[in-house]
Amino acid sequence: MTGMLSAADEAAALERLHELKCTDGLPVVVPTEARVARMALASGLDRDLALGEMGPGKGIATVEKVAVAAVMAGCLPDYMPLVVASVKAVLDPRFDLTEMQATTHCTAPLILINGPARHSIGPIACGFGALGPGHRANASIGRALRLAMINIGGGRPGESDMALLGHPGKFTYCLGEDEEASPFPPLHVDLGFAPEDSTVTVIGAEAPHSVLFSGDRDDPESANRLLECLAIGLANIVTNNAVLTGGAAIVLLNPEHAAVLADAGLTRRRIAERLHGLCAHSPDELARYAAAFAPRRGQSAGSRRRSCFTSPDDILIAVAGGTGLYSMVMPTWCGGPHRNRAVSVVVETDQFCEIPSEGPPSFRDRGTGLQHESTSAPSDRSPIRLRHNPFR
Amino acid sequence: MRDGIAIARLGVPSVALVTDEFWPQGDFVAESLGMPDAPRLRLPHPVAGTGEASLERIADAIAPTIIEAFVH
Repeated sequence: MTGMLSAADEAAALERLHELKCTDGLPVVVPTEARVARMALASGLDRDLALGEMGPGKGIATVEKVAVAAVMAGCLPDYMPLVVASVKAVLDPRFDLTEMQATTHCTAPLILINGPARHSIGPIACGFGALGPGHRANASIGRALRLAMINIGGGRPGESDMALLGHPGKFTYCLGEDEEASPFPPLHVDLGFAPEDSTVTVIGAEAPHSVLFSGDRDDPESANRLLECLAIGLANIVTNNAVLTGGAAIVLLNPEHAAVLADAGLTRRRIAERLHGLCAHSPDELARYAAAFAPRRGQSAGSRRRSCFTSPDDILIAVAGGTGLYSMVMPTWCGGPHRNRAVSVVVETDQFCEIPSEGPPSFRDRGTGLQHESTSAPSDRSPIRLRHNPFR
Repeated sequence: MRDGIAIARLGVPSVALVTDEFWPQGDFVAESLGMPDAPRLRLPHPVAGTGEASLERIADAIAPTIIEAFVH
């Protein structure tokens, strides 16, 4: 069981959590005993169940501690299966979370959700602005993972998380694949999961890089030019993918761009193979811009271009976003013992426990603003007890 | 820091070299790995990319201290 703090009221509790560096800098929902209990109950799992050890602080990620993060992030209890799956995914040793949390690179775990859970939980936004504000499930699930990484994993800026600047996706970075608008099978199916499975795929990724491309149905070269544009964004010569090589990366095609490629007869696999070939640089090019790293690659000189990726399998391709001119690519850190691999896990929705509503708060609009009344949440004047775990 | 502790756990004496900016992270890693007193010495920051002459100056300045740390 996690430790308990007490505070005079919600406002004081929030300030205390900020002081203890338990937040991401934004206000959080105060993790009171009752709220955490409801969240843990919703998971259908034993609250003391240990999902794994989270680095670099080596905190034990129990279901209860994950529930604390989910409460703080503003999750609904319904989201717990996805939060738990995301935590399990980053705890997979292949994800190298300890190293990832400690690096000076800006990397952050991107959560990509596939399968029926996109609709039954949330819903998870997959289309317009899926990575932007306004989608509660996307925002709070991604934030819950970050708060777990802060409070269970101990990743705090300048102390243990040494990212020189970080990026906004370190607050939250979560979306679903728009399977319904995709001309390809769902990503998780191509990764070997059953269509009826729901999965979470995590990959440590840079901030999204926008790729502008306007297709032309009369141009037979349209698909080739789009692939070239994506490759320029994915492995431009100052990315870690280009310089360090051997890592993974992700491409988010908007449905229009996905159609350009599919209409040219390209499958997801063939797109990855083409990008594998196009994302390449020569030792001479790298020596000019990344001389300090050239010896690591065992290359001294030459003009023969080599791929930035070991295999096409290292390039994830998913369809998401609104329809239009812009797709996105996310290069990665390419560090750690496993070189920044993506990890997918099945979401255990059958464990979910539906729990009674807390009782929705009622609002009264008096013309000058909204006033909030709640019958069950502690009022700002009530002494409260909150669950949290600043130091494991 | 992590490497220094891993080497020490193999029974090989080690002294970690930690630059000034990374000193707090060194403390954090040493604490979380259960070896808070793991020997470490402070270098200026940055070291990488400061040029050969600078590297030699830093090495000359720190070498006696490293030897001292191993001896004691």
